Amino acid sequence: MNKRTAYILTACVTIFFAVFFLYPAVIVLKEAFYSSEDGFTFSFVGEVFMNPVYTEGLWNAFALGVSSTLASLFISFPLALIGHRYLFPFKKSLSALVLIPLVLPPFVGAVGVKQILGIQGALNAFLVKLGFMEPTMPIDWLGDGRFWGVVIMNALHLYPILYMNIAASLSNIDPAMEQAAQNLGCPPWRRLMRITLPLTTPGIFAGGAIVFIWSFTELGVPLVFDFTRVAPVQVYDGIKDLGDNPFPYALVAIMLVVSTLVFIGSKAVLGRSKLGTAPRPKGKNVEVRPKRGSAWLCTFFFFLVFFIASLPHAGVVVLSLAHDWYSTVLPEVWTTEHYREALGHPLVVPSIQNSLFYASAATLVDLILGVAIAWVIVRSTIRGRAFLDALVMLPLAVPGLVLAFGYLALSQKGETFYFLVQGAVQNPTWLLVVAYAVRRLPYVVRSAVAGLQQSNLALEEAARSLGATPARTLRRVSLPLLSANLIAGGILAFAFAMLEVSDSLILAQQSEHFPITKAIYSLLGMLGNGYELASALGVWAMVFLGISIIGAVILGGKKGGLFRM
Amino acid sequence: MKGGKKKYLGVFLPMVVVISAPIILRDDDAAAMNQAELRLEVITPHNELIRREFGEAFSRWYEKKHGESVYVNWRTPGGTSEIKRVLDSAFKAAKKNGSEGIGLDLFFGGGVYDFKGQAKAGRFQKLDVFEKEAGLFERGIIPEIQSGEGYYPREYDWLGTCLSSFGICYNLDSLDRLDLPAPTTWDDLGRPGFQKGIALADPTKSGSVAKAFEMLVQQKIHLQLAANLSRKEACAKGWVEGLNLIQRIGSNARYFTDSASKVPHDVAQGNAIAGMCIDFFGRSYNEALKKENGNSRLKFISPVGGTSYSVDPVAIFEGAPNLKVAQEFVNFIFTKEGQMLWNARPGTKMGPKIRGLRRLPVRKDLYQEPFLSDMVDAEVMPYKIASEFIYDYDLTGRHFTPLRNIIRAMCIDSHEEMKAAWEALIKADFPPEATAKFYDVSPVSYDAALSEIKVILKSGDKIEVVRMMNDLGTYFREHYREAERMALIVGKGDSK
Repeated sequence: MNKRTAYILTACVTIFFAVFFLYPAVIVLKEAFYSSEDGFTFSFVGEVFMNPVYTEGLWNAFALGVSSTLASLFISFPLALIGHRYLFPFKKSLSALVLIPLVLPPFVGAVGVKQILGIQGALNAFLVKLGFMEPTMPIDWLGDGRFWGVVIMNALHLYPILYMNIAASLSNIDPAMEQAAQNLGCPPWRRLMRITLPLTTPGIFAGGAIVFIWSFTELGVPLVFDFTRVAPVQVYDGIKDLGDNPFPYALVAIMLVVSTLVFIGSKAVLGRSKLGTAPRPKGKNVEVRPKRGSAWLCTFFFFLVFFIASLPHAGVVVLSLAHDWYSTVLPEVWTTEHYREALGHPLVVPSIQNSLFYASAATLVDLILGVAIAWVIVRSTIRGRAFLDALVMLPLAVPGLVLAFGYLALSQKGETFYFLVQGAVQNPTWLLVVAYAVRRLPYVVRSAVAGLQQSNLALEEAARSLGATPARTLRRVSLPLLSANLIAGGILAFAFAMLEVSDSLILAQQSEHFPITKAIYSLLGMLGNGYELASALGVWAMVFLGISIIGAVILGGKKGGLFRM
Repeated sequence: MKGGKKKYLGVFLPMVVVISAPIILRDDDAAAMNQAELRLEVITPHNELIRREFGEAFSRWYEKKHGESVYVNWRTPGGTSEIKRVLDSAFKAAKKNGSEGIGLDLFFGGGVYDFKGQAKAGRFQKLDVFEKEAGLFERGIIPEIQSGEGYYPREYDWLGTCLSSFGICYNLDSLDRLDLPAPTTWDDLGRPGFQKGIALADPTKSGSVAKAFEMLVQQKIHLQLAANLSRKEACAKGWVEGLNLIQRIGSNARYFTDSASKVPHDVAQGNAIAGMCIDFFGRSYNEALKKENGNSRLKFISPVGGTSYSVDPVAIFEGAPNLKVAQEFVNFIFTKEGQMLWNARPGTKMGPKIRGLRRLPVRKDLYQEPFLSDMVDAEVMPYKIASEFIYDYDLTGRHFTPLRNIIRAMCIDSHEEMKAAWEALIKADFPPEATAKFYDVSPVSYDAALSEIKVILKSGDKIEVVRMMNDLGTYFREHYREAERMALIVGKGDSK
């Protein structure tokens, strides 16, 4: 890539990012550095470190981030490796089914988890039925679980991000490398540690950085476990405080710095491709058909992960069909009435149309920007590209509420973003598209960067030397080589945009602009059967998203493989 | 090619089925409301059911009266704290641009605290209803003050529309399982046995919750006054007893939540034994869980002698774009028809279309026949219950903001240490020294709350406020740790 193009692309992306991310974030975060008495000040940030409750909160959040990332890796790496190497019964279906956590609307998932893990929940009822528990002495899984409960829930929710990235990385490894090691007598375990694992580090880093930052800043899961001494919950509490409390913003500023440092640090260790300029895989990876028993063991492992990861979904599905689910393994009386009431609600149809538009447009924006950014980061040699790389990850570390309030302030009449909501009814459609796009951009960038790092530069150079224009090279050579990574990143961006909560709650204030998550949230507030109604609409959203993702994989993925090239 | 077509069909057919389900089931009556001639912009924290019932009922009423259709466009950014931010942001921009209004007509629902704040900032305008329906106010059908709670201000720029109070909801199965008696007073929630079993609302997130805690403290002061202590002594002693009760309840708390529906839901599901709950949520859950024999596992009570009723007000914004319709909306709410909507049974003449709202109308004249027989909660007489508690502003009114912050430092920021200390005290059977340590609230005494603490809170110096809160939090955490340590030593001694 010539420097001029790289600089132009960097300038365009940086301007977009500065306007739509940094500016609204700074508008809100300046409260952390501004006091009416002293003007600019570091006092609030300083006070965070003086306050043991906040330092403990930060430490807990960091520990949750690290533990959740390791736990996700523990699930996803074997999953991706088995999927890459072996043929086993139901492989195709199970490979798609293990992506199930992606389709769970966040707070609906919490409802499902509580139905199962509650004191009078299904798990305790099951244990009582089996005779493992006294009915008078149930275990308070949620109350006693806390730290490890949050880690397990995070890992079960986030492992698909790592799984998709590692799967894409594995598919880029030249099988000749492993075969060479094997021919030279390298035992399988050593081969894994010396060849496969180092070669997949870009994928591990790409997914791991997202999982870490996500779980470091995760709000919903700690709230389900009532684990309040953790930084994101402290931020949320502080923002909702009736007094104007500057602490949450100081905490967010610190979390931003920590996220950036962890990102840069881990990138230095993991992010570099060990492939260097290795040639593109010459041969297709040959999947081995293990012995019958081993093949079924692989199936069992995939099924087990799917089964455990889908328990919150099962909780939501059963609740949506229950008359009253309490203290029993399954409800005693079933009903479809909640579906009639929830799906028939006037909010629902417009919210589906809105969500589809918001999420698709945001994903398109992300794909265009993501490829451009990744191109600059990987293919250019300009200074400051590492800075750009870290910069685009920041949206993951800024709580949704903070950015949402920034957008809100800037979209008022006379303010910078007012043009995005102009009109008598203040339609926030374009504001939401931009907000969704900015917050989902890191998924696409990481996937595209990982893909570019592993795809062979020599092929692009060959195309150029044969007279192809840069645009044609991109269209005919680079993008097809990147397609698996882009599908993975695009699916993540679309799914998470469909399930976005914070921006949707704050910016879509009128029912005609509600996305599906806000419609679910509104139903949750209904008296008496709100949780059941929200679950019914949540199930609809899960089925829709499930079909979309599987459809994208079937129609977009080549040669039938999941993210195979 | 054939395989390709099959693949597309396999994806698109299920997609069509899934998307068509809500279109087929759609409630067209309500959807058609959007095609109206007039529009009203209302910002509200009220739930979807209230929005839908009031929106549709007002549209019908307005069309009948004026011959024009009106669409109520609800703006719902979230709860009251989100609404406050939206309004602050919008008015700040309006001021900068010299606009008179913010494109919104009404603020409907929330707590008195929120409305007082907005009114103080000069964002509301006078309501016509005070003149048009002057009789309602002259005859006390809507009182200005009831048991210390203001229902409308002298500026007449907001007005309470329905009543709500905090009470206790509890799960009968959980009480049975743990062999605990049913709670009847706030004191009962602080008893040993309820550890990790109380679901509490967060007073720092809601003015109404903070008010409920203030009532609890004031009730303790009233008891001291009844014991013939001087006013000064009664205030000092009652305040400490009130805070100690909040410590006990806080120690038993699973959490302090800002979500109104979380408390009754967790109690209904058995995740909490009992909780502090808004009345209409408690009653709705009680009703929803009723079995054929009329029994419900969730019960709701108004604690004896410790309840006052506050209101959910309505107000019109300065520069409201649809002022005439907005004034009519307020007028409608205070008609008998509008008021009965809050509590009439679905299917009755003035009742809601879909489901009972279970809120209590503010108009006193509806708590008699023939209206009572149409009400779902006819047995609840809020004005009678409220009159049992005489609120005295001079006792705790000025402590309102300090109390909220004290609870934050004493219970919320110190929750982990507090729970551990409480557990240790119970196990050691409350050794006197450790118990005294636990209950030591001297830095937040009645006088300190009104002097040092209030002065700093009112100073507006955020750094000073933050330091004070940090110091108070540290004080309580250290005391709780020390109380736990002392109790554990006694406990070990006993076991030897």
